[in-house]
Amino acid sequence: MRQDSIFSRSDSEEKNSFSALEVKEKTPVLLLLVSIVVALLFAVPFFYLAVRNIVNINDLANIFFSKLTFYPLMKTLYLACTVSIVASFIGVVLAWITIRTDVYWGSFWRIVCPLPLVFPSFVVGTTLISAYSPGGFFEFIFLPLGIEQFHRLDGYIGSFLVLTFITFPYVYLPVAARFSTLPSSTEEASRLLGYNSLATFKRVTLPQIFPTIRAGTLLIFLYVVSDFGVVQLMGYSTLTTRIFNTRLADTELSLALGLVLGIVALLIVLGERFFSKELNLVNDNPAIRPIKLKLGRWQPIALLTLLITLGAGLFSPIIILFWWAYRGFVNQTAGFATTSDLMTLALPTVNTVGMSVSAALATVLLVLPIAFLVTRFRSVLITPINAIIVSGFALPGLVVALSIVFLSINVTGFYFLYQTLPILLLAYIIHFGAQAYRTAQVGVLNLDNRLSEVARTLGTGRLLLLIKIELPQMLPALAAGGGLVMLSTMKELPATLLASPIGFKTLATHIWALNEAGFLADAGVASLLLVILSAVLTWLVVIRNSTHLR
Amino acid sequence: MKKYICSFLGIVILSTLFIACDNTDEESLVIYSGRSQYLINPILDAFAESTGIDVQVRYGGSVDLALLIEEEGEKSPADVYISKSPGPVAYLAERGLLSDLPEDVLEISPGSDAGNWVAVSGRQRVLVYNRENVTESELPESIFELTEDKWKGRLAIAPRNGSFQDFFTLFRLQHGDDIALDWLEQMVANDVKVYANNNSIVQATARGEVDGGLVNHYYNARLKVENPDTPSENHRFVDGDSGSVTIATVAGIIPSGNEKNAEKLIRFLLDTAAQQYFTDRTYEYPVLAGIESKHDLSKPPTIDFGDFNILGSGLERTLELIREAGFDI
Repeated sequence: MRQDSIFSRSDSEEKNSFSALEVKEKTPVLLLLVSIVVALLFAVPFFYLAVRNIVNINDLANIFFSKLTFYPLMKTLYLACTVSIVASFIGVVLAWITIRTDVYWGSFWRIVCPLPLVFPSFVVGTTLISAYSPGGFFEFIFLPLGIEQFHRLDGYIGSFLVLTFITFPYVYLPVAARFSTLPSSTEEASRLLGYNSLATFKRVTLPQIFPTIRAGTLLIFLYVVSDFGVVQLMGYSTLTTRIFNTRLADTELSLALGLVLGIVALLIVLGERFFSKELNLVNDNPAIRPIKLKLGRWQPIALLTLLITLGAGLFSPIIILFWWAYRGFVNQTAGFATTSDLMTLALPTVNTVGMSVSAALATVLLVLPIAFLVTRFRSVLITPINAIIVSGFALPGLVVALSIVFLSINVTGFYFLYQTLPILLLAYIIHFGAQAYRTAQVGVLNLDNRLSEVARTLGTGRLLLLIKIELPQMLPALAAGGGLVMLSTMKELPATLLASPIGFKTLATHIWALNEAGFLADAGVASLLLVILSAVLTWLVVIRNSTHLR
Repeated sequence: MKKYICSFLGIVILSTLFIACDNTDEESLVIYSGRSQYLINPILDAFAESTGIDVQVRYGGSVDLALLIEEEGEKSPADVYISKSPGPVAYLAERGLLSDLPEDVLEISPGSDAGNWVAVSGRQRVLVYNRENVTESELPESIFELTEDKWKGRLAIAPRNGSFQDFFTLFRLQHGDDIALDWLEQMVANDVKVYANNNSIVQATARGEVDGGLVNHYYNARLKVENPDTPSENHRFVDGDSGSVTIATVAGIIPSGNEKNAEKLIRFLLDTAAQQYFTDRTYEYPVLAGIESKHDLSKPPTIDFGDFNILGSGLERTLELIREAGFDI
């Protein structure tokens, strides 16, 4: 699992000439075919929306250009833009502190930084409201300090704050992986030439990590577009809340808005690709450890930054969950309704681990061919394939879940898979593929092509080359992307509820059901278990597989 | 690590094969339930035990399950659909996706005029209030009093939530659209606070963030179990007032060829044992006369669905009125 440092020891100046050669190669037919098949799977939700809207094609134009579409669309875009800018800034700062400085308890921070992603969004929303609203949990801590009344946590500000503090890991995780493999030689040179840390960061480091930041920022943007739990709790109307709130009373409007959302997402992803410059990265040299900046008297500031950010997105929810569980423990007669029998948690835990790890692995395997295709070759199909895979992440989970049901019910040859684990896995892959895909691209870009050339000259087959030489090099990037998919799967609700085998339960569905029934103490215990589980899995899947993150 | 992953993937594939080969010889029943697992599962287990029928349940949101059944169409594995409120069942009935229920079942409990769904248990609409901020003499008799000046900025509603929408549908069917809209507009003018759902209103009331709000009675009863010190209390409007309507949990049968077992279940849910369970354990109102509750739920309310069977299109009108009153929904 370790990166093999012996093969990587080479001069970075010579490497780039080989990347240039490879781009001009002809696209292998097999690679193109595999990519097309995968892309077709990812197109299922869009196809579903198109089919379901065709019956109302006459009203479609009216709905597209009505007030009911325009205002929530503008509000969605406003929220998504502001959150993605601030959250990606936070993600970069945290990655820099945890990877590039000698901050105290570094390995602890590296494990907990990605974790805000793991809470189902209604859990974060509810707990943070309990914590920071007037009369909330933290009031009696703040009251003696003279701060009298908090403003109610709601609307745009509430949505913005909560979403920012739970989405920054989409940038943190890939950027941390990138930081950890970036050669320090150029930065050292810059320092020797007399530039200070800030100037070095701006001129040397930032251009190197910028493509990774941009990829992560796009994920945050799309996540915010798709989110329902937080914005609904905050009473902020977006396209997604309107899709949900009208899905029964006005199904036509709901489906049309789903199509609008899909089209907007496609346009945004196409636009991002159009405006982004060609990626041109300095190849990694994992043999050289990145420099760790000595923080010295800045140490407290770095710690405070970590504490505030994670305090909002991770520690506050945990404290509230503990409080709920404690209350249930004190009122034992009725407080714990289900957790008293610990077996009720065992099966959902096993299912959660199994599905999230399988989803991570399967997603990485499926998007890898496409990452090769898009990065290495030129074809007219690349732009649409790229757009379909990435923009699926913006669709509300319910649409993805229903589209999978639609596929299994209506397409011949799929029905025997209906309500089985493989079809559920497919739903996860389609919904979260974008998260692994972008980091896989960075992984492919960073491949040391000279090594591959040498291996090929020595007669190594393509498959062996991939397994022995290329996969180990890409492992940190793939692990970061797989980690994002894993954390997202752990909290997934709509597809798990609708498309799983009947009776199949995960921790997330367990928490959801408890919350619906107002069993807060039990929900608290199950949510805490989910956090602990995510920490263990993050260590196993992400940290252990990227040597430098350890 | 790799071994674990491989073995799990193996299990996934194997389980698929098993599911595909699953024989359906024995008596079985598939239920889609929008009613929460922890409130209804014990009684479904009791049904399985007493009849020997193999019961399988898919739990989910009521609305999402209704959309799922519609998407599945004729291939739906579901035999029975249980919904938290009448809205989603009416949606399925309107699309012809529910079977007719036997006459005698419809006589036990209130249901739709068309005869394809019945109420199983009821939850009361109430005003939850914070006893530290509202005195008992202040408490209103009718929902119409909430538009008075003294309530300005003190109350909460959840206009995007299904149970508020069901209440408002009954309200406008009782008094007409004009009066209902006028009431809601006056509530807005009275600076009513907006929340996402019943639970968030109950918790906001308990915190003292608002003085009270319109909710189903269940959530505060549950909060009192979790936290006996909570200052939040339920208050019932007078009988017959639109504020004290009953939101019923309802059940219907999907035409799947398994109607015999499905009817057995519905009869079981309407029988004394199940009704006693609902009143004692989940704080619900029984639909059967003569059930004594150990909680303060002794007075069985009259459940009047009125024109609720036309709810499918009726809900769309409700949504229009809520929008007209100024809510972004």
